[in-house]
Amino acid sequence: MKTPVSILSMGVSSPGGATTAALDDMAEWPSERVAEVTTAGAAHRVARIDLGAGPFNRWRMRPRLRRASPLSHHLMEAVSQALAARPDVDPKRVGLVGAFFIGCIAYSVRFYKGLTSEGRRFASPVLFPETVVNTPLSHVVCELGIGGPVYSQVGDTSCWISALRTASLWLANRDVEHVIVVSGEEFDPHFLDVMHAARWFGRLPETGIAEGAGALLLGQDAVGAIARITRIADGYSYRTRVQAVKAGRDCLSEFDASLPVMATATSWMRNISLTVLAGRTVPPKPAEPDFDGLGVAAAWNTIRAVGVVQESPGLRLVVPSWGLSQQIGAVEITS
Amino acid sequence: MRVGIMDDVVITGQGCVSPLGGDVASTWARLLDGENARGPLGCIPVEGCRVTQGAEAALPDLDWLSQKEIARLSRASRLALPAAQEALRDAGLCDVHGRSRVARLELSLSTTANGMEFGERFLKRVWAGTRRGQAAEIARYPSQQQVADLQQHLGFSGPSMIVSNACASGANALGHAADLIRGGFAEIVLAGGFEALCELVFCGFDCLQALAPEECKPFDIGRRGLMLGEGAGFVVMESRAHAARRGADIKGRLVGYGHTTDTHHITQPEPGGVPLEGAIRQALARSGLVPADIGYINAHGTGTPFNDGAEAAAFARIFKEPEIRISSTKAAIGHTLGAAGALEAVFSLLALQTGCIPPQINTTQPLEGMEGRLARPGDLLKKPAVLSVNLGFGGSNAAVIFMNS
Repeated sequence: MKTPVSILSMGVSSPGGATTAALDDMAEWPSERVAEVTTAGAAHRVARIDLGAGPFNRWRMRPRLRRASPLSHHLMEAVSQALAARPDVDPKRVGLVGAFFIGCIAYSVRFYKGLTSEGRRFASPVLFPETVVNTPLSHVVCELGIGGPVYSQVGDTSCWISALRTASLWLANRDVEHVIVVSGEEFDPHFLDVMHAARWFGRLPETGIAEGAGALLLGQDAVGAIARITRIADGYSYRTRVQAVKAGRDCLSEFDASLPVMATATSWMRNISLTVLAGRTVPPKPAEPDFDGLGVAAAWNTIRAVGVVQESPGLRLVVPSWGLSQQIGAVEITS
Repeated sequence: MRVGIMDDVVITGQGCVSPLGGDVASTWARLLDGENARGPLGCIPVEGCRVTQGAEAALPDLDWLSQKEIARLSRASRLALPAAQEALRDAGLCDVHGRSRVARLELSLSTTANGMEFGERFLKRVWAGTRRGQAAEIARYPSQQQVADLQQHLGFSGPSMIVSNACASGANALGHAADLIRGGFAEIVLAGGFEALCELVFCGFDCLQALAPEECKPFDIGRRGLMLGEGAGFVVMESRAHAARRGADIKGRLVGYGHTTDTHHITQPEPGGVPLEGAIRQALARSGLVPADIGYINAHGTGTPFNDGAEAAAFARIFKEPEIRISSTKAAIGHTLGAAGALEAVFSLLALQTGCIPPQINTTQPLEGMEGRLARPGDLLKKPAVLSVNLGFGGSNAAVIFMNS
């Protein structure tokens, strides 16, 4: 990253509501206990979005979105908010980068279940296109008239950091004037089995699982900016716990050692982060999240960090993304 | 000829695994001979599908890894690793153990299905109510696992970006690498794509009735669909200054890149090919070239009625020179989805390096406007640049232009 990038607006779709303020009250989010599929006994705290309720239901009547995945709806809500907040920005000149960890899991599972139970000849031609990773962003582009370049990026739960870097590259190369970076996840009970198998529930105090989306509208013009991204550190990979500690330290060494570092780690990464952050300043606010949005968590954490630096002019805050399976990245947010 | 904005992005190594061969030399020789890899599939279950044939790759030996290490790899990683290693070796970046001499090496990758066979097995275990084996399977499914495999077994680390823009992803991965170098974000990038055949995706295309029940015939009036394939293609891309500092042999240049999104339909391109035309014109503008500079187009050419019609319409509007040659290598190696753009980039570079053009096989009755333009056996490249285009579900379009060093 060569030059700072301005954050011009934000958008959120979450179980707590469709506002950035909803991310400050995760403890108040409505939740339910959902059982794993393998063994119905093990249930976990899950916060889901009711797509039938306002304001989320406004996308259901659009013909193209009638059969679209829940993920597509989450992304639509977040991106539309980011665009609506800046009516001076022409969507036709906006690029879009999506960051995904799980992707279209609900329709993928339904499609595969159908062909394995009913027979391959009876696989659903309606479901299959909605399983493709870039389909949700295609819906967003079509419905909101976005005309710039579009990438759907995949990776572990730190993929958001890589997507921010792509956006900063496009802006630095002047390929486009503005870029929206969006991340989203949709919940499906099979993901609880993934978490169980990967031992991501662990023995630590229970963090709930949540779905939703978060978006940032970025540009290089400082006028009207609500905060700035002043550094991105991406690509610190690991395969073992020992390597994860080293990756975390290497990543954070990219930032001024005196800067406060936001508490963002979840699952087994909490212990890794405690080791890495020993001696660093971890501000009490924003507090550790009550719900882990997995791929979207990094987006929500960045949005929460923007809220904090907006309240404290001159503050610089490091927001790490402790990827649960492959790499660690971080971003510096400045007022 | 004007100077483009990507003049400093050079390619110093290339590698591939395809259904026609486990490396660049064997694949290219069989491609020029007009061979076709279509056959029965043994690597995935296809009983009950309307179409049961495709193009399956023979998995190369990974002689620098132990059997235990190989057993842990997804099919996607078994295709990606040898292709990436060949590219690094071709660029003079491999040590005697087959590992990278560059410790921090950025990756720009593409795929659509990751290690899907492990995801499929995981789901079957979940539905069977058994936990045994779930952990190992879910760990090997996601795309970042292939990144980890490349980094671990080729001995490097660094940032990675995996783009999943459906069938245009491979071209996006190379274009992104060029952007990273152009923007000064990286001096050297290992870029490529990989895709392994899997049941979920095969059945998906089968249920859409997009698979050809017979030979795949791109740009033929009687075309009836695509042939799915698998493989991997990789290139080492560097800034010219970086390549010069280490005395690297320059194999070619990526001089232009364009990408657009077609909002016409999730699975069908706009019939007139207007969004694709936009991507091609973007790539031309960035390269400083004019259409007459393009001697060969490696077309997307899936062999489906919708794709080929839109593509032919776009080509007809942009390229007026009668001597241009066009072919779709998917008739020979199949449609390799997330790997397609990367593999076809390797073929485009080989056309520049050898002057030979892969012939269009299987097509006997060309679409209107394509007569006389489809490459025939023995056709030679007569212009300085080659264009490779890809279109994907969700409306992703990408075009990349290559030139000699």
